[in-house]
Amino acid sequence: MTDSRVRVTLIGVVALALFCALFARLWYLQIASPNQFVEAARDNSVRKLPEPALRGRILDVAGRPLVDNRIANAITIDRKITARQRELVIPRLAELIGVRASELERKLDDQRVSPYTAVPVAQDVEDSVIVYISEHREDFPAVRAEPIAFRRYLHGSLAAHVLGYVGEISEEERKAQLGVGSYELGEGIGKSGVEQTYESELRGKSGVTQVEVDSRGRVLRTTETKRPRVGNDVRLTINLDVQRVAEESLAQGMLGARIVQDLTNKDEFETFTAPAGAVVVIDSTDGSVVALASNPTYDPNKFVDGIATPLWKQLNDAANHYPLVNRAAAGQYAPGSTFKLISGIAGLQSGVISPGKSIEDKGRYSYPTDPNRFFTNDNSVAYGSVNLARSLTVSSDVYFYTIGGDLYYRQRHGAPGGDALQKTARAYGFGEPTGIPLPGELSGRVPDSTWKQRIHKANPEAFPYPDWLPGDNIQLAVGQGDMLATPLQLAVAYSAFANSGTLYQPRIAAEVIGGNGRKLRSIEPIVNRSVPVPGRAEIVRGLTGVAYDTEGTAASVFAGFPAGLVSGKTGTAQVGDKQNTSWFVGMTPAVNARYIVVVMVEEGGYGAATAAPIARRVIQVLNGLPLTDVAIQTPPKGN
Amino acid sequence: MATILADRRARLVTSPLRHLDPILVLVPMIISALGIVMIYSSQRTLLEQAGDDPLYFAKRQVIGVALGLVVMAAMIAIDYHKLRELALWGYGATVAALFAVLIFGVEVKGAQARFDLGPLQMQPSEFIKLFLILVLAGYVAIHRGELNAKRIVISLAIAGLPMGLIMLEPDLGTDLVLMMIAFAILLVGGVKARHLVVLALMGITVATLAVNVGVLEKYQIDRLTSFAVDGTDPSGSGYNQDQSQIAIGNGRFTGEGLFEGTQTQSAYVPEQHTDFIFTAVGEELGFVGSGLLLGLFSLLVWRTWRAARVAQDRFGMLCCTGVLAMFVFQIFENIGMTMGIMPITGIPLPFMSYGGSSIVVSFACVGLVANVTMRRFS
Repeated sequence: MTDSRVRVTLIGVVALALFCALFARLWYLQIASPNQFVEAARDNSVRKLPEPALRGRILDVAGRPLVDNRIANAITIDRKITARQRELVIPRLAELIGVRASELERKLDDQRVSPYTAVPVAQDVEDSVIVYISEHREDFPAVRAEPIAFRRYLHGSLAAHVLGYVGEISEEERKAQLGVGSYELGEGIGKSGVEQTYESELRGKSGVTQVEVDSRGRVLRTTETKRPRVGNDVRLTINLDVQRVAEESLAQGMLGARIVQDLTNKDEFETFTAPAGAVVVIDSTDGSVVALASNPTYDPNKFVDGIATPLWKQLNDAANHYPLVNRAAAGQYAPGSTFKLISGIAGLQSGVISPGKSIEDKGRYSYPTDPNRFFTNDNSVAYGSVNLARSLTVSSDVYFYTIGGDLYYRQRHGAPGGDALQKTARAYGFGEPTGIPLPGELSGRVPDSTWKQRIHKANPEAFPYPDWLPGDNIQLAVGQGDMLATPLQLAVAYSAFANSGTLYQPRIAAEVIGGNGRKLRSIEPIVNRSVPVPGRAEIVRGLTGVAYDTEGTAASVFAGFPAGLVSGKTGTAQVGDKQNTSWFVGMTPAVNARYIVVVMVEEGGYGAATAAPIARRVIQVLNGLPLTDVAIQTPPKGN
Repeated sequence: MATILADRRARLVTSPLRHLDPILVLVPMIISALGIVMIYSSQRTLLEQAGDDPLYFAKRQVIGVALGLVVMAAMIAIDYHKLRELALWGYGATVAALFAVLIFGVEVKGAQARFDLGPLQMQPSEFIKLFLILVLAGYVAIHRGELNAKRIVISLAIAGLPMGLIMLEPDLGTDLVLMMIAFAILLVGGVKARHLVVLALMGITVATLAVNVGVLEKYQIDRLTSFAVDGTDPSGSGYNQDQSQIAIGNGRFTGEGLFEGTQTQSAYVPEQHTDFIFTAVGEELGFVGSGLLLGLFSLLVWRTWRAARVAQDRFGMLCCTGVLAMFVFQIFENIGMTMGIMPITGIPLPFMSYGGSSIVVSFACVGLVANVTMRRFS
């Protein structure tokens, strides 16, 4: 027994040692160790559920909503749906809402949706479906019908190129936005237009609900709620009425041109293609864009729920003329005779012409060193004695060829002011983006000797002549050759002329309005620079003649129009093997014009034929006149 | 009249109940009460979410404890010398039950270890602990101090028969407990040093074979080894242990508060009402609570050890030794496992873990020990 007692003691010692080990370990875990376990426990159980903010609205200049949000009943499926539940629910749901099961599967497997939010698989479902699901909840585990906000473009495709659209944020955009305030996967972001440029105002601030979840991810309790803050409204400078009329008129004019014969084609019968066009209306007093239309167009509503692939292909197909392209800011065209305003100013600035001095227009012009090469007026019409005003009214090419030629002569002989054409063009904003707060703007081109050498060096085969030749400068003076401008650039340039020399950066948004309806800040007009406006009265007289003088190029278009209401300039630009680009820049009223209306129709023929009638209707709405349908002029005279 | 009273007093004086160890009997009751509270705390959220009565497990545990108290009273009442013969029947019946459970039992979490008796489930492998202690103590005590090789082999066979059956369920944890019981009884029963060495070698050989021949399932090996591997992934075998250590560590000094433990209330620790009940105490009651619980267990072990020391005869001493080994190993293995210093095996924490069979057997063992101490003078 004694020996046994010793052995029992031995067991006791072992037990003591083991209990000491337990105490030591307990002490270490709970007292001695750093807080790693506490943190691990918190990480374990805390989840942050982002709650997206309602995006701000986009309003027109009068505060009428152009874009808002629609709260719609959507069917969502919880991501934590089990495979078994899925097997049962998907076919049932597909049957109920009438879509293919594979479509639901695809949406449910879309990894772009945040793993902590339910996946929307159907929206705008009928009320009966919602009722059915709620009454048969046990048949639809993990399925919920809940309201979700969808972006709504109230007027369909109206102002689509201004407004842009919203889409799910891409991986690259997420990386680019990291510093700004992080975006969740699957969150919407402005992809184009105002939606993109004013993203930070419109977006608002997502709310966060911090919840504690158990080991299976089920929510136990809410520990912290930060309500989402609704995005700010942005009031644009766009006027809904003018915008609508501009788009309608453009569409009318393009349709009309398509049934008119192109008389410049002497070989065969051909109507104008008129596949695309643009209208820009700018308030010359502050650079506000009143309307901006581009045709063909698209409906941003189609992007709201992720755009369908076939539609996306359509929108990016050459055969459809790229409806997504905003031709007002990203379309580059030879400006044709609308450029003569700049050439005239350049001529006056450099002194090669003066307002009162006339030039004898014999219908053709040749540069002294190359007397056998003729630059002709349209149809070689001879206008006789032409001063600055008349040159604009009748659109005498010879008058401006002379300016181009004389300036070339100065360039060649190192006389001052030889680069007046290019200098004036650049001063008036050509060759650089106007800075309109819309993505994708292009800068056009003001060609000169440096540019010509550069493209020759870059591609000698396509551009064999490195030298700036007389013809280059002469063609430039009538807005042809290698000169390229966007409709917006023309509008900005004419605005600066109209307001006596202030070149504004076009303004598209007027103010930011907080969620409570109070104005947060104005978006002030931005002056880019001052530009010289010599001979303004003479030029205005000439441009008014375009509309009212019997020999004005657009006189037939504006026949019967109230006196003094409009001045402007037609343009008919030749484009390689295509039909002529039809231009008209209208200004209303004629003197000290408040509004500049630029109309451009690709392959639309004479400026007076297609563009001017479109502009006429826009000028009607700007002046509160009754609207008359766009009447394509045929055959017009002068370019 | 006076003589009757005196006689009654005399009987009372000599009644063994006078020598009942109150600490030994009270401590398990306190621990069981705490156990019921912690079972409720760890399961109420899950049960509520499932739409069940949050008190479901707690209520069943109360029944188990009540049953245990009755059994303990019975074990105290019957002279333990009589238990020696009774235990043989018990041993036989339980071994038969272990056979039967392999055929008729219900499979729970991969082990076929229980009978489903309507509202109750019975786990014969729990009961075999008690009967092995009694039978083995009885056999070894007869051959007081003269344990030759043959007798050791018979002893091993007594232990080995149920162990083999339990191995088939499979229930590695219970086998380990039985091994410890047998080892302790043989040790105190007077096994010679050279036999001890042989036993140890045999143990190692059996373990090696079990691992290599494939008697043990892969998951059993993983569970045994994962605690020693650092940085185990949360989804793998180390998940339980990671989560249970996080829970205990999260408790700090005073704990998160009863019903307030984030790990516990969020059901991050699997099997928290059974094998991992200690983590609920650790997180919600902190070092104060879990230290106190360890203290209560120490008291229980101390009184059991004392009972072995003061036992009147060899049989009593060996019984207490068996119970002592059982408690010490179960407590150390279970709590050590939750704190990451022991491998994970399915061994319940006496008086704390949910499970009627375990509770009843634990109380029965305490009853046996109390029985031995209080009859040490008779």
